[in-house]
Amino acid sequence: MSWTSVGDWVAAVCLLLGAGLSFVAGVGLLKLPDTLTRMHAATKPQVLGLLLVLLGVAVRLRSWVDLGTLVLIGTFQLMTVPVAAHIVGRAAYRTGQVDGEGLVLDELDERLTRPGKAS
Amino acid sequence: MRTLRRIQWPLVVWLIVVWVLLWGKVTAGNVLTGLAVGVVLCLAFPLPPLELELRLHPVGLARFAARFVADLTVAGLRTVAQILGPGPLPCAVLAVPLRSRGDLMLTATAVAVSAVPGSAVVELQRSTSTLFVHVMSSRADAASLEQARDEVRRLERLVVRAFGTRAEIAELAGRPGTDPS
Repeated sequence: MSWTSVGDWVAAVCLLLGAGLSFVAGVGLLKLPDTLTRMHAATKPQVLGLLLVLLGVAVRLRSWVDLGTLVLIGTFQLMTVPVAAHIVGRAAYRTGQVDGEGLVLDELDERLTRPGKAS
Repeated sequence: MRTLRRIQWPLVVWLIVVWVLLWGKVTAGNVLTGLAVGVVLCLAFPLPPLELELRLHPVGLARFAARFVADLTVAGLRTVAQILGPGPLPCAVLAVPLRSRGDLMLTATAVAVSAVPGSAVVELQRSTSTLFVHVMSSRADAASLEQARDEVRRLERLVVRAFGTRAEIAELAGRPGTDPS
């Protein structure tokens, strides 16, 4: 087996795994009970899935020009996803979109409802 | 001269790098147009100056990067198991006070926490540098919650050892309630 076909196989595996992870992230958005748990689904498998897809594309294309663009996409993904997730989580929490029954301990609620401490 | 001094040159350099990567080729033309675009953007949308107290420690950086990639992989797979597994999982929102005060350390730790298995940042209190972390795990007894809290502190240590100034690294050891390692 030549190096080219090894590369193609690696690329195919990465692409399929990445697509699978992104699919499960989508399933999670439907299945999980509230916004905060859905944030887990929307960030973790999705980021890993996208990075695997980018890796697969990089291995398949084998060109420095495209590699630059792919690295840029990955970097921005890693930088922006936690920020976006945090903003959504914060908004969800403050508007009460939290499944109180599933929550065994909530230390933010104490902090926010204590008089004079809410920011 | 005054306008020139207002420009944040490190930001312009970063914008040039992005511009060149977008075009895909390093040519004199690309670098020069990137410079022009960067300067115009910085003048059109001025940002408050960043006080970057940043030092790069190669060993700490490598350790942090390895840990980040490992976390990302484990977190992705475990979340898949949680999604496909049965039933709703117990969750908790934990307050984790951090030892370092710097904005950059706080931000970097928050980003790293987002990659950790089972936790997501919900709220961030800058005045006390406290992170509020939403944890989703299979068990929710006191021990596993404490473990999640330790995890965040361990990440903070990795982040500070990778990017922190000497004072911040010292601060890590000096504050009460810290672990000795």
